Amino acid sequence: MGKQNYIECERRGLEKLINFRLPHNFYTIGMVIIGAAIVMMFVRAFALEGDQNVLKEVLRKLLLVGMLLMSIAKDKDEDEMVVKLRMQSYTYAFIAGVVYALIMPFVDYGVSNALKAEGEAFHDIGDFQVLLFMLMIQLLCFHALKRMR
Amino acid sequence: MENTIKVERAILNLTQGDLAEKIGVSRQTINSIEANRYVPSTVLALKLSEVFGKPVNNFFKLSSDD
Repeated sequence: MGKQNYIECERRGLEKLINFRLPHNFYTIGMVIIGAAIVMMFVRAFALEGDQNVLKEVLRKLLLVGMLLMSIAKDKDEDEMVVKLRMQSYTYAFIAGVVYALIMPFVDYGVSNALKAEGEAFHDIGDFQVLLFMLMIQLLCFHALKRMR
Repeated sequence: MENTIKVERAILNLTQGDLAEKIGVSRQTINSIEANRYVPSTVLALKLSEVFGKPVNNFFKLSSDD
């Protein structure tokens, strides 16, 4: 392989990595998955009886998968500005996620102990809560930034 | 960065939508570029140059804070 071919090959590889996004159809698929997961969560909470911990976990994961698909699917009219806005929304989501994970355990502990004499013990928040929060912030920021452009 | 895309567009009698379609971006992106809210990439600047038939320097100028 010549030097030029090697450089071209590297450039294409980098471009593929940088431009990785799913087709716009996945946005709709993500919305359907989220809708189905939320409906099933209500059904599980109010209609089903007995121990449903496995179903609860599966539905939580489904919700995250749906939001992830919405997050990484291309916009209907995707252009370089939309790409930049999406990158910015990931930055905000990352910052918000870190701050949330740092502060929320103290808020939970404080509120719980302020309301009850013997409140909850101090504990870290779960991965589901952090990921859900980050994905929500990303989607909200992305749509807010798009409206502002 | 300042630009005179709005003027160039008016000379060619193009709407934001027409120009957006010609260079393959959304109308909102053209609006943001015209309002100096977004600085386009070199690729987009060269596409604009091709549509307007003028060098990029003719409609993009560095401002004092660049």
